[in-house]
Amino acid sequence: MDARSLAGSRVVTPPRVERGKEPLVLGRFDYQRPSTLLEAGRLLAGNDGPTAILAGGTDLLVDIRGRRNDPRILVDIKRIDALRRLDVDPAGELTIGAAVPLNEIIERAAIRRTYPGLVQAAESIATYQLRNRATAVGNLCNASPAADMAPILLALGACLVAWSCRGERTIPVSSLFVGVKKTCLAPDEIAAELRVPAPEPGLRSGFLKQQRLRGHDLAVSSVAATYAPSTGVLRLAVGSCAPTPLLLEPIEVGRSSRAAVEEEAVRAVQAAMRPISDTRASADYRRAVLPVLVRRLVAAVLAEGGAP
Amino acid sequence: METASVPSGLTLLEFLRERLYLTGTKEGCGIGECGACTVLLDGKPVTACLVLAVEADGCSVETVEGEATDGQLSVLQRAFVETGAVQCGFCTPGMIMSARGLLRRNSNPSDDEIVEAMAGNLCRCTGYEAILAAVRVASRPPAEMLTGEATRDGRRLLPPGYSGKDGRR
Repeated sequence: MDARSLAGSRVVTPPRVERGKEPLVLGRFDYQRPSTLLEAGRLLAGNDGPTAILAGGTDLLVDIRGRRNDPRILVDIKRIDALRRLDVDPAGELTIGAAVPLNEIIERAAIRRTYPGLVQAAESIATYQLRNRATAVGNLCNASPAADMAPILLALGACLVAWSCRGERTIPVSSLFVGVKKTCLAPDEIAAELRVPAPEPGLRSGFLKQQRLRGHDLAVSSVAATYAPSTGVLRLAVGSCAPTPLLLEPIEVGRSSRAAVEEEAVRAVQAAMRPISDTRASADYRRAVLPVLVRRLVAAVLAEGGAP
Repeated sequence: METASVPSGLTLLEFLRERLYLTGTKEGCGIGECGACTVLLDGKPVTACLVLAVEADGCSVETVEGEATDGQLSVLQRAFVETGAVQCGFCTPGMIMSARGLLRRNSNPSDDEIVEAMAGNLCRCTGYEAILAAVRVASRPPAEMLTGEATRDGRRLLPPGYSGKDGRR
């Protein structure tokens, strides 16, 4: 291009857009930031159109951008003090508020000690940046069959406290999921906090997940286990191999050999799983890989600290 | 300190780039996968594409523009330059901010800790070895880097065993 044609060219300026009408990648919605549960409950019970609860936003904002969700109002619950709880009460019950990001759980020494499986599951989710936003409650309420926090919370016997202006109810995580991406929560309910029961003495826990790329993929299959040497009960829960995460019947370890327990666990998982083929793996691959994960995890929680 | 009134649908990334013209922060994927838009929100790395501008109300936001002082690159930025950790440069501002967040919470990270902290930042050019070296160098900077007399010969700043800018050992 010579100087003449350059001189003739025009600087292209973006068209003037009227204030308030600029294109936004997320589109337009109303934003509310209540500071109490009551205020939030009233917003959700109102009739101003589809309302979504915004916690970490790492799923919600992606869905809004992809036009898979089109709420009129976002209710940001992160500045409600009651939902920022992360503590253990004197009886040993752990409370995880809906506004607590995963990294806070991961960095809490007492949780690392008591519930290693919970921390392993949280650490396996996405990337450091996203874990500074994403919450455990949000991961659960999204109700993905592949939700990484679901299997360990199932195995630990956790409950979700749902709050609405009508009152409060406690839902065992085992009855929270009713289908793919569907929970039993009503539109006006806020999943306020998770309660993880006090651990039995010496409780062990773990989480294993198969994925194609660490940090950039959802689980192909996952399994969580808890084992209480004091009661001899092994609890297993699996993810990504049925329309919802599944809690299996507890296994009494008793005097059985480790190999026998592994066999029993694999049989129980195989009987319960209903895998599908999708972009991440075929159903056959899932049927093949899950027993491997189950055996590894069962061996690990039984062997830890020199058990059977 | 910035005070602005914004539409509720505006992302922090759009606010930084299109309202404040702080275009150092890049938009890659827009869905939190690539880390190009990493900024520090109240000191913690987050992807600015998945934060609403209004959510940052009252929070501190640090971007790559805050790294250099008086036209002098920070030690961390110089480490990226000197180790050849920058090629096309598009991922670099996000890389710098993730590394800044890491060095602030852990001034002497192990290689595993560096990898974990940087895993949310994708780079399509460098192959990551040089980036790992850059963060390693920045956490234990050679004296000439601290005095601002950094050499143009990257090799002198590279850790033992690292022999070239092409990532080969």
